[in-house]
Amino acid sequence: MKRSVRHSKNGKIFGLSEYIIKIITIIILIILWEFFSRVGYLSPLRFPRPSKLAITLWELMTVGYPIGITVWLHIKATVCRILQGYLLAAAFAIPMGLIIGRSYLLEQAANPVITFARSVATISLLPLAIAWFGVDELSRILLIAYGCYWVILTNTIQGVKQVDINFINAGRMLGASRRQLFFRVILPATLPRIFAGMKIALGVGFMVIIAVEMIGTIQGLGALIQQARFYYSSDIAIDGMIFIGILGLLISIVLDRLEQIMLPWAVGLEEVER
Amino acid sequence: MNTCNSDTKIVVKDITKQFPGENPEQGLALYDVNFTVQTNEFVTIVGRSGCGKSTMLNIAAGLLSPTKGEVLINGRAVNGPGSDRGMVFQYSGLFPWLTAIENIEFGPRNVGMPKAERRASAQELIELVRLKGFENKYPRELSGGMQQRVAIARAMALDPEILLMDEPFGSLDQLTREDMQRELLRVWEIRKKTVLFVTHSIIEAIYLSDRILVFNPNPGFVKKEFVIELPRPRQKSYPDFMRYYEEIYEAIC
Repeated sequence: MKRSVRHSKNGKIFGLSEYIIKIITIIILIILWEFFSRVGYLSPLRFPRPSKLAITLWELMTVGYPIGITVWLHIKATVCRILQGYLLAAAFAIPMGLIIGRSYLLEQAANPVITFARSVATISLLPLAIAWFGVDELSRILLIAYGCYWVILTNTIQGVKQVDINFINAGRMLGASRRQLFFRVILPATLPRIFAGMKIALGVGFMVIIAVEMIGTIQGLGALIQQARFYYSSDIAIDGMIFIGILGLLISIVLDRLEQIMLPWAVGLEEVER
Repeated sequence: MNTCNSDTKIVVKDITKQFPGENPEQGLALYDVNFTVQTNEFVTIVGRSGCGKSTMLNIAAGLLSPTKGEVLINGRAVNGPGSDRGMVFQYSGLFPWLTAIENIEFGPRNVGMPKAERRASAQELIELVRLKGFENKYPRELSGGMQQRVAIARAMALDPEILLMDEPFGSLDQLTREDMQRELLRVWEIRKKTVLFVTHSIIEAIYLSDRILVFNPNPGFVKKEFVIELPRPRQKSYPDFMRYYEEIYEAIC
């Protein structure tokens, strides 16, 4: 692994590991926050102090909000919805992208549609989705799928288009049939880019889910935050944000790990398009 | 399999290649190219960048079709790639998702050779190009010289009669490049092949070749031909070597 020149040689600054320094920074920020709100610079209603957040956090995990729905249930609901929409999107976007990317004609034809559809903010489709599918799980999942679909599709198309001509020529010189060329050369050469698209799509999925959960459900992290808004419970809203952040972090760690296992040859090669 | 005779292996007949473009003069890469290559002969095309030498090689490979003329191999016209020809590219021809040995096995796998058999022959090639111990490394884990060794082994995996080499050492540093030139000759001595090689290095061409074709730029055609009558192994410091160098240099300019 290459490290930038500004990194210290052994990963230590003033004899402390970089890891420790990151944790200390966070702790200092929390202490400052607590301090300023106790002194009275920050209104406890708008900026609940960290100690209050910690207590609320504990209550969310044990008692739940609304009572009975613990944060674990919220997380489970959110993760289930994202996964369904996300996998649905991938199941359609990857094959479509592979087909469109291989054909100049299809790519030209699809280009304006894709650019248009991608520019439409997914959330703005919420009223339509509700009109078509009702205030229902289906609406939520389809909206997530919509948001993820275009990102995976464009990255897959770009990936196919950018396959090095040398790989294709080498494949042809080594006796590959059209079918073999596709499955043994073009597909593996495209995988890193597909993976990159999948990673961005997950982020998009997270943005969409929180918004679509704010309507018509009491389960899910978005619903939790929405409920908190009704009662001016800033502490619950902030704790909800913290859970979303941690969840996103964990999932991206899992995806990175998955990529290292599945594409050990490609780690660090991909370029990304949103 | 290749007996030592002096049959003609490759005949390039009246090849013209016009690339589609607005200006017909710019798109004319090759004009009326004619030459032959004998069985087991090492022939090199040299010339300035853009003289169509790579285009010529791609046409012989069957990756490009000529606008006019034909390439005959063993008397049969080339119509697309075939297992009688193996090719080594300058850059990134190796599949980064396959290990060294899997890259070598790629061709045999396509034509349906059983796993045990292709593994054994790939292992043999690994040893031929002296990469024992590196067979399970990915290309990115190998040095530039090692990558080109794998590329040569891979091109030979279907046991082609002809090796087409498109500036294979062009991206290597000078010392590695010289090692690879020696390696290539060593491999060529062991497994006799007809080689059509492209380079812009005159020294490399003289060191390697039986015969050198100097290409004219824009459009490309064979401007002059040199038979290199130096005993092998050749020394780049020989006065005769330098004499060839000067003659060829003059012919290119």
